[in-house]
Amino acid sequence: MMADVLTIDHLQKKFGKFEALKNISFSIHQGEVFGFIGPNGAGKSTTIRTLLGILKPTAGTATIFGEDAWAEAVGIHKRIAYVPGDVYLWPNLTGGEVIDFLLRLNGEAHSEKTDALIKKFDLDPTKKARTYSKGNRQKVALIAAFSSDAELYIFDEPTSGLDPLMEEVFQEEVLALKAAGKSVLLSSHILSEVERMCDRIAIIRQGEIIEIGSLQAMQQLSRSTVHVATTQDLSAIKQLPAVHQFTAKSATQATFSVDADQLGAVMTALTPLGITQLQSTPPTLEDLFLRYYNQEGDGHEQQ
Amino acid sequence: MNSSKAQNTLALTKLNLRHDWLKIVLWILGLAGLMAVAAAKFGGIYGTQKAMNTIAETLRTPAMVSLLGPFTATKPYTTAMIYGSEMMVFMGLFAAMMNLYFAVHATRAQEDTGTSELLLAHAVGRQSPLLAAIAELAIINVAAGVIEALGLQAANMPGADAAGNWLFGLGLAAFGFMFGTFALLFSQVVSNARSATILSYSWLGILFVARMGADIQDPDLTWWTIFGWIEKMELYTNNVWTPLALMLGMSVIVLAVTIALAASRDIGAGLITPRAGRARASRFLQGPLSLLARLERTSTWIWLIGMFLLGVSYGSIFGTVGDLAKANPTLSKLLGGAGTDAANKAIILAMANKLAIIFVVVATIPALLTILRLNNDEKKGYLELQHAAPISRLRLFASFAGHGLVVGSLSFLLALVGMVVAGASSATVTISAARYLRGFVGFWPALLVVCGIGALLVGLLPRLQSLVWILPIYGVISLYLGPLLDFPTWATRLTPYGWVNEVPVKAIQWAPVGWMTALACVLFVLGYLAYRRRDLTMN
Repeated sequence: MMADVLTIDHLQKKFGKFEALKNISFSIHQGEVFGFIGPNGAGKSTTIRTLLGILKPTAGTATIFGEDAWAEAVGIHKRIAYVPGDVYLWPNLTGGEVIDFLLRLNGEAHSEKTDALIKKFDLDPTKKARTYSKGNRQKVALIAAFSSDAELYIFDEPTSGLDPLMEEVFQEEVLALKAAGKSVLLSSHILSEVERMCDRIAIIRQGEIIEIGSLQAMQQLSRSTVHVATTQDLSAIKQLPAVHQFTAKSATQATFSVDADQLGAVMTALTPLGITQLQSTPPTLEDLFLRYYNQEGDGHEQQ
Repeated sequence: MNSSKAQNTLALTKLNLRHDWLKIVLWILGLAGLMAVAAAKFGGIYGTQKAMNTIAETLRTPAMVSLLGPFTATKPYTTAMIYGSEMMVFMGLFAAMMNLYFAVHATRAQEDTGTSELLLAHAVGRQSPLLAAIAELAIINVAAGVIEALGLQAANMPGADAAGNWLFGLGLAAFGFMFGTFALLFSQVVSNARSATILSYSWLGILFVARMGADIQDPDLTWWTIFGWIEKMELYTNNVWTPLALMLGMSVIVLAVTIALAASRDIGAGLITPRAGRARASRFLQGPLSLLARLERTSTWIWLIGMFLLGVSYGSIFGTVGDLAKANPTLSKLLGGAGTDAANKAIILAMANKLAIIFVVVATIPALLTILRLNNDEKKGYLELQHAAPISRLRLFASFAGHGLVVGSLSFLLALVGMVVAGASSATVTISAARYLRGFVGFWPALLVVCGIGALLVGLLPRLQSLVWILPIYGVISLYLGPLLDFPTWATRLTPYGWVNEVPVKAIQWAPVGWMTALACVLFVLGYLAYRRRDLTMN
């Protein structure tokens, strides 16, 4: 059992009457890349800002390295690196100055790694921040974060302004952190990115965590899509309780989804019909995400 | 200019007006209200010929000329003549400030926030935002001018005529508009709103000081100072309309240049292209305080040097101010040599008191700007990266408060030092530097208290923090014009500046110095405690 670097317990945050966070609980284990996904306005950034001690929790607790995120913010911040979703830099400073400044705030210095990152991210550090695009401003914050030797890295939609090449560089760097045993909290909209890198994922909706676990576990709880062709009429399959969204292309060809834990039973029913083609795909994170979101207010199961 | 460049100007003008209407109404009501109230009061204060003769003598002294402009009326005086002479320069200053604000706000500030980009992506002409800003300024000034004139008509001062009232109102309108066009011009040259504002205010300051010098030396030179045009209208005496024509003419020329410059630059950029900077931060850049010092470097130098020069320019007229033998030879003979010296000394010290008030109020501006910047930078998102670093809120708060206080205090001190140095070389009587610097010790706690109130608002009521500007604005009105308008004592004591006795004429009262400093400390601590407890992001 590895120690948790971050624990959020029944966290609530109200802005006036608006409940931005209703009930957030999750923890991040040592050395884990944790994905945090949800649509705009679900409370991802609010959660992260509470973790950083920028916002004060209305109720519940958030602890990092076992210390209270609000009360011990300064001590905690020595051991973390953060990249916000919208990076705003002082317009009069150059990118290079900002990177050095941010490193120094954490008691670190510009190193060879910093130069390597500047090169890798293809940033011109001599330009004033005023002239940088959104992507370039993000690069500045990313270089400072990757260049620092933290224990926990928090990224809030860090790649929203990056081009695909730079996104690739970002993923490489995160995987390098993972290999080095660092913990990462990654909030993202790019689900393929989360799918590829994250050990566990939390899905947030309207200020509540609605699902949490590894992608595999989520897939287990969900449905696989099955494309099948048989020699005999397979319309009876539609009647099985584990089969959903059954669409028949012809009497012997169909696509449907199956509750993941009932896949075996469905196969047993299909076998006598003479399978000529079979393709079963586990749900992608995108499928999961859309499914969790579409069932909002419709009860847990949707037929 | 073809119509495609100006497309939708009208719609943008309406949008600007709808967006700014509250600020516009407050400014206009403030200006027109001040004028109307003063006009109504003048009848009572300067109702008799005797009272008018006395104030006319005062207004003719170089000290008053330097502050308010020359008094050119001839006997028999009327209340309106006194009014026109006392109010013109002062109101002009305020009208100019209003226009600088709206001009930068409607052009460069919108480019900074990206609003212009959003608008220009629609069927909006390239020049439309600028033209809409010009239209907005014209509408604001015409409205202000008409309302001011109507207010004067309603006040019905003895000796006031319709021609004078309308010339005053419309003259202020033209004067304000002219400074608005200067600000529009500067907004094209530099690449952000902050620089445009600094440049516009520097220009206003230079012209104001030039006017002061010219008025003291040779009123004919005042024609060359642009700012001085407003004095040349000779309100309620000759009612000269030529300056108004000059102001409009100048506005047209400045606008022509502005439009030409705007056409030749990109949106979001200035005419001066930013140079590439350093790839690595200097050794100096280590924490929030040094970052702030770096970001504020240019404006800090402008403030310190500008305030010193302001002090020098006032000090250099002490020789003329404190020259009773020339100003009033009969009285001087009556008093004799020693008596004249004593009188000169008294005149200079009284002027030094007035100047200390002006300096301390002006020095409050950079201090408050920095203190309020804490939340302004927060809103712009600049501080989020610092919040994730091991920087305590105390360190952040103290950096902004400390930097603001140091720059404000130094600005104040340098203005007084400039005054002392130039005063020593120009005055005929010797007054020790220590005597002059009583002004610093006396008024400095007032600066601290006003900044403390600002800090408290930053912590407690961040959305309302701009309200703190009421203190310096009302402070300068109540103490600069208060005595002339016969303000009751309580009305001059509404701001901390009014809690200070008449230093350096009188001795320092150490008790108020002590408790005001203590009060300021308490305010700063309370501000910090409130800041520590609340959420940071407000956007």
